Amino acid sequence: MYLNRRPSRIGDLALLAGLTWFAPVWVAWQDGPPLVPSLAMVATGLMLPLILHLTLAYPAGRAGSDPARRLVAVVYTEVLLTSVLLALARDPYLDPACLANCNVNIFLMRSLPSLVRAVEICDRWFAVTAATALVAICTARLVRASWPARRLLMPVYFPAIGFAAAVVARAIVLQVTTVEDPFNTALFTIFAVGSAALTLLAFGLISGVIRASAERRAVTRIAANLDEAPAPGSLPSALAAALRDPGLRVAYWLPGARRYVDATGRAVPEPLGMPGRTVTHLMRNGRTVAAISHSGAVPGLESRIGPAIRLGLENERLQAELLAQLEELRASRARIVETADGERRELERNLHDGAQQRLLALFYDIRLARASAGEEGDMQAERALARAVGETQVILEELRELAHGIYPAVLAEAGIAPALASLADTASLPVEILPAEDRRYPAPVEAAVYFTVAEALDDAARRGSDHAAVAIVHHEGRLVVTVEDSGSEPTSPLMAAADRVGALGGTLAIESARYRAEIPCASS
Amino acid sequence: MRVVVAEDVMLTRVGITRLLADAGIEVVGEAGDATSLLRAVRMTQPDAAIVDIRMPPTHTNEGLVAAQQIRAEHPRLGVLILSQYVEPRYAMQLLEEHPERVGYLLKERVFDVANLIDALRRLADGETVVDPTIVARLVARRRRTDPLGALTEREREVLALIAEGLSNRAIAGRLFVTERTVEAHVKQVFLKLSLNADPGSHRRVLAVLAYLRGES
Repeated sequence: MYLNRRPSRIGDLALLAGLTWFAPVWVAWQDGPPLVPSLAMVATGLMLPLILHLTLAYPAGRAGSDPARRLVAVVYTEVLLTSVLLALARDPYLDPACLANCNVNIFLMRSLPSLVRAVEICDRWFAVTAATALVAICTARLVRASWPARRLLMPVYFPAIGFAAAVVARAIVLQVTTVEDPFNTALFTIFAVGSAALTLLAFGLISGVIRASAERRAVTRIAANLDEAPAPGSLPSALAAALRDPGLRVAYWLPGARRYVDATGRAVPEPLGMPGRTVTHLMRNGRTVAAISHSGAVPGLESRIGPAIRLGLENERLQAELLAQLEELRASRARIVETADGERRELERNLHDGAQQRLLALFYDIRLARASAGEEGDMQAERALARAVGETQVILEELRELAHGIYPAVLAEAGIAPALASLADTASLPVEILPAEDRRYPAPVEAAVYFTVAEALDDAARRGSDHAAVAIVHHEGRLVVTVEDSGSEPTSPLMAAADRVGALGGTLAIESARYRAEIPCASS
Repeated sequence: MRVVVAEDVMLTRVGITRLLADAGIEVVGEAGDATSLLRAVRMTQPDAAIVDIRMPPTHTNEGLVAAQQIRAEHPRLGVLILSQYVEPRYAMQLLEEHPERVGYLLKERVFDVANLIDALRRLADGETVVDPTIVARLVARRRRTDPLGALTEREREVLALIAEGLSNRAIAGRLFVTERTVEAHVKQVFLKLSLNADPGSHRRVLAVLAYLRGES
C-alpha cells in the first residue's frame, strides 16, 4: 500500500469545489451569454460529490477504503446521469419551482416537465442517502483512528458531517414546501448552516496543510539531532516523537532472509495496513528498505523523509540485519549443543540397555561355567574362568564410568545439585559445593553448568589445587556459576565449556582468579 | 522364601530367576514394569521383591519410585533395588523414609549367588543393604580435613560395614570378633566423628552415609 505522492489531489478537489460554490451566481447571470447559466445549472449538482470526495480522500488524496471508493464512484455516476437528463429535458420556462434562471437552457432537446420533476425528487433523496453514507463512513473512521490520526481528521470530518446534515435537512424541507423559496426561514437557516460548514471545512483543510508542514519540519530536524552512533531503535522513536504518533513502528526488510525485523534484529510480522494504521514502504533502487506503520495522519510520509533520515534508516537496517544474523548464529549454536546432548543421553541409555545388559548376561554365564568347572575339578579351566570373571567385572565398571561421563543419568533425572554432589564424590580433589537452591532448570542450562564445573575441576586438579569451591546462584534471570580453587592462577579458556555457555548466550571468563560462567536463564 | 522379580530385560530376569530357583528360593511373580510389579506384590504377598531401578517408560528411576511405594504399603516386605548406577543419592533416597528392609546393589553383584542370598536374608532379618562399591567410593572421597584419619584401621572397617547396612551381630561375624567388641568400636566411631544418630537404630546407616558425603 503506497501513499499517494502527488500532493495536488486534495488541492485540485478543493479548487473545483470552490468554483462550484459560485455556480448559483452564474445561474442568475441573465444578461450574459446563454451558455453561462446553462453550464452553471449543470455545475451546481457537482457540489455534493466534490465535497464528499474531498472529505473521504482527506488527507492521503485517495478515498482509501472500499466502501468509500464505491460511494464516491456511485455519487459521481448518479450526478452525471441526473445532470445529463436535466440538461437535455429541463425547460426552465416550464419549471414552476424555477428561481434564479427561468428561461435559458441551451442544451434543451425536448421539454419533459413531469420527467424532470421525477428526476429532481429522485436526486434529492439520493443526495440524502449519499450524505447519510458519508456521515457513517466519517464516524466509523473517527472511531477507529488512533489519536494522532483523529486529531488530523476532525477539522475536516466534523464540518463535512455538518454539511451532510444540511443536505438531508434541505431535502426534507423541500419535500414539504416544494418550492425553493429564498424567504423561507427554514431553508435560509439550512443554507446558512451548510455555508458555515463549508467555510469551516476550508479552514480545516488549511490547518491540515499547516500541521503537515510543521511535522515535515519536525521530521527534518531529527536528522540534525541524531548522534553519530545512535542506539538501535533510536530513529523510529525519534520519528514517533516528531509525528506525535507513539504507535509508530519501523520494520526493516531483510532481503536475504525474506522477513521483517525490528531495530534489534528480532523477527516481526509484516506490517499491514488496517483501520487507523497506514503502512509506508521506504524504497531505495526499487527495493524495500523499511516498512513504517503509522497513524496515517501524515499523508505522503515517504516524500517527507529526507535524505539524511533515509540514510539513517538504511544504516539502522544494516545494523538490524547484523543483529538478526548474530541471533540466528546463537540459536544455531544452541541447537547444535542441544542435539549433541540428546545424542549423548541416547548413547548413555544405549550403553546401559545394550552393551551393559549383554555383558551382564556374559558375566552370569562365565560364573556358571566357572562353578561347574570347579565342581568337576578342572582346576585349569576354573582358574581361566576366574580370570575372565575378574576381567568382565573390570569392563563392567569401565563401561559404567564411560556412560556416566557421557551423560550422568542423575543430571537428567534429578538436576544440577544432585549431579554436582555426585561429581564431588569422585573428584580427584576435595570439592566444596556451596548450598544452592535445589531446583530444575532447562536441560541445556543444567548440562552447561554440570560440564563447566566438571571441566573447571579437571583444570584445577591439573594445576595442583588441593581443594575447590563451587557456587551456583540464580539471580535476575541469570545463573552464575563460580569455581574457585587453591592452585596456581587459572589460565585455560575451558574451550568445551565456553562453547556450551556461549551457545546459550552466556559468558565464561576468568575473573579474580576463578572461573565464572553466567548463563541467561529465565525464572520459571 | 518367596520373592517377586521385576526387571524389564528378559535375559537378566531369567538369569536371576534361575539363580534363585537353584538356591531354593521360590519366585512367585515376575514383572517387566512398575505397574505389573505392584500388582504382582499385591496378589502374591511375597517376602521380598527384587527390582531393577531402570524400567519403562523413562528408564531412569521408576524402580526406585515403585520400591518406595511397596515399602509404604507393605512394611514387612523387603525390597532389593538392582542398579547400574554407583549413585549414593539413590541409595540414600531409598533409606530416607523406610530405613529397614531395603537394599541397593549393583547389578553385577547379584550374579554371585552368595551375595544375592546374603542380601535377601539380611533384608528378611530387618537389616539394610548398601552396595560396598558405593560405600567404598564415599569412604575414599577426598576431604580437605579428613576426620576419618582419627579412626583406627579397625574402626574404619566397622564404619564401612555400618554404611553397608550390617547389624552389629553381622559385623561381628564378618570380622570374627564378639558383638561386644563391635559395640565398643561403633561407640568409638560415633564419638570420634561426633555423629548424633542413635548407634543402635536403623537410622544409623543413613546418618553415616550422609556424613561420608559431607552432608551432615
